[in-house]
Amino acid sequence: MAAGLALPALLAWLGFRDSYETMAGAFLLLFPYVFLLGSRDAALDELDSGALENVLFLDGRFRTYLRQKVLCLTAATGAYALGLFILISLWGLAAGRFRPVMILQFVMGLLAGAYYAGAAAALGVFLRSGANVMALLVAQAGAAAALLASAAGRSGFIDNLTSGRFPDAASRLRLSALLAAFPNLIVLGSFFRGAPVVAAGLVLALLARRLRLRRLEVRR
Amino acid sequence: MLSVDGLRKSFGPLAAVRDVGFRLERGRIAALLGENGAGKTTTLRMIVGLIDREAGTVNIEGSPVGYVAEHPAFVPWLDGLGLLRATARAFGLPPRRLEAGIESLCGRLRFDPGLLGRRPATYSSGNRRKYAYLQSLIIGPRLLVVDEPYTALDPPSIAGLREVFLSLRREGAAVLLSSHMLTEMSRVADDVIVLRRGRVAGRAELGDPRGRDRRAVPDLEDLFMTLCGRPDP
Repeated sequence: MAAGLALPALLAWLGFRDSYETMAGAFLLLFPYVFLLGSRDAALDELDSGALENVLFLDGRFRTYLRQKVLCLTAATGAYALGLFILISLWGLAAGRFRPVMILQFVMGLLAGAYYAGAAAALGVFLRSGANVMALLVAQAGAAAALLASAAGRSGFIDNLTSGRFPDAASRLRLSALLAAFPNLIVLGSFFRGAPVVAAGLVLALLARRLRLRRLEVRR
Repeated sequence: MLSVDGLRKSFGPLAAVRDVGFRLERGRIAALLGENGAGKTTTLRMIVGLIDREAGTVNIEGSPVGYVAEHPAFVPWLDGLGLLRATARAFGLPPRRLEAGIESLCGRLRFDPGLLGRRPATYSSGNRRKYAYLQSLIIGPRLLVVDEPYTALDPPSIAGLREVFLSLRREGAAVLLSSHMLTEMSRVADDVIVLRRGRVAGRAELGDPRGRDRRAVPDLEDLFMTLCGRPDP
């Protein structure tokens, strides 16, 4: 809820204080995080609370509920993001600064958001509420530190990033790892090619969660 | 109505249920007895599908199935009425039947309907339990499964609940109760199944519980002590 209110406030401040371009760029880079924060509610907590030991969830229906809850949360977050995007687009159209590529960037952001939601949900069957989100943020911090360390080298990975060229398998692997930690990078035009990596990560997260849910049991 | 055969379940190295099988016919109440750790709760949870069985079969004729856990908890974002409405929707219960059911059951369970405006997590433990009965009974269960039916309830509520079980029996539903309260079980049960270390150690048919003399209690206690006092099978 706080993130949901803070983001429009930040965007409005950027829009009025700086420029439409800064605001739109910030929105496209940041809105996938709303999916991450919206998915912090973990299956593990609900199982341990005993709330699923209820007549509503008998005969394995608790698994269906846990699956559908993530879908509902993701859909609600997607609707919220779409609402903001429409407002930002209207602002851009009125000011004559809307660029059609933003639609593609928004779609990429939705993919990144879905990846966050899927990864947080997959971790949520192993970790408590909040810890699943924190694990992803810690992974991002680790990736950022690795990136900085790479910048110290003479021909580090950061050179590949700035040039947009990944000549060997090692650099491509590092790019995949970076996108796994920072999926929102795919909203940047130079990283559109990374969309399949993020999509593959999303599929893997959903598969891992599905497998775990299948073996999950209500316990006290 | 309920047929259970060869149930098995382990938690790591602990074999909680090794081989449990029994039948419960419609219009009968069965008491599942056993010492602590005998496998009663695990058996109930396998029957209602909250945990998976490693082996064995569970066949239930008719639906819906009601279930009341020993320590009921509920989804935290709905108040009592909201959760009942969600339950009614999930089981296809028309709103009119829901309202009539709430009115009737609140009286029989001695549950204050004024509490329905609050979230069940804020109820006292006794009221949480009554609410769990309300939620399970509102759907008109053909099989009601209850773990420790009288935990946290006061004597008038226990008496009311006894009547609820007997009325379900009259209506042709089956009731499976897991309990340590032999006195109460002897007043409602048609059949007794005693578990010991994950196996059925014995069973007995007590017959029609209506108007049963409370002197039946020592018999049930004798049966329990005899079966649970035996050396391991």
